[in-house]
Amino acid sequence: MDEFQTGEETAFVVDEVSTIIKESVEGAIGGNAYQHSRVNQWTTNVVEQSLSQLSKLGKPFKYIVTCVIMQKNGAGLQTASSCFWDNTTDGSCTVRWGNKSMYCIVSVFGLAI
Amino acid sequence: MSDLAKEKAARLLKKRGSVSSLGSHDVRAKETGGKIKDSISTVSYIDEPGHHDDNPRPAVQMENTFQLAPLRRFPVLTVNDILKDVLDSYLQEEKYEAELCRQMTKTISEVIKARVKDLMVPRYKIIVLISIGQLSDQNMRIGSRCLWDSSNDTFSSHSFKNSSLFAVANVYAVYFE
Repeated sequence: MDEFQTGEETAFVVDEVSTIIKESVEGAIGGNAYQHSRVNQWTTNVVEQSLSQLSKLGKPFKYIVTCVIMQKNGAGLQTASSCFWDNTTDGSCTVRWGNKSMYCIVSVFGLAI
Repeated sequence: MSDLAKEKAARLLKKRGSVSSLGSHDVRAKETGGKIKDSISTVSYIDEPGHHDDNPRPAVQMENTFQLAPLRRFPVLTVNDILKDVLDSYLQEEKYEAELCRQMTKTISEVIKARVKDLMVPRYKIIVLISIGQLSDQNMRIGSRCLWDSSNDTFSSHSFKNSSLFAVANVYAVYFE
């Protein structure tokens, strides 16, 4: 039986993923101020861009990408997540991005298959 | 054979060591097109403390089950009811307060995860995501996309609102092939 290269290539690498996410967010909403009419398009763009870059990594993972865009108005927001998975292979990463008029929070969950 | 496995485990642990730090680093956005962007991004990944102190199990080689699809599908409607039930009972009369809601999000996500686990749907991995926010004049959009097998994997979502806060709960169920 061949010994397959498991472990190294099939672990969730947080640094790589966070770089991809940051680039997607910057690219999609980089220098813009909050605009209600465009926010729908922005969330879609951020998420789809991230997902396509993640799939290009070619790793045997299923991905869940969540994006929250919120206008800066002094209101508070709390987020929590609880996951039932295999700790050795699966992982998550959250990127918080902000400019003068809005916040963008992107969470990526990667589950090995 | 076991040495190779031990070596791999050690390498994995070293890599994981950087992941488990409660770290966050600031990155200034690069200057592009001559305009300085005043945006800041931070990355955070929080893991349970003490989790990486255990001896890492060597990666388990699974045998073929010759199962193409799950024996029991994920009960979306049941989970919808669970979400509605939990959010209503925990948040019906609450006002938004930063510290209280911080604890509340963590508690609610654990409670929902426990109740979904009680359903005992075999071979499904569960992800529960809760957001609780203050109701003020702001606008907000939450979106998510998933790269998975749509015949087996699914999600469930519920939102709740009272006079001072709103809450959104998402549960994703991913089949482990």
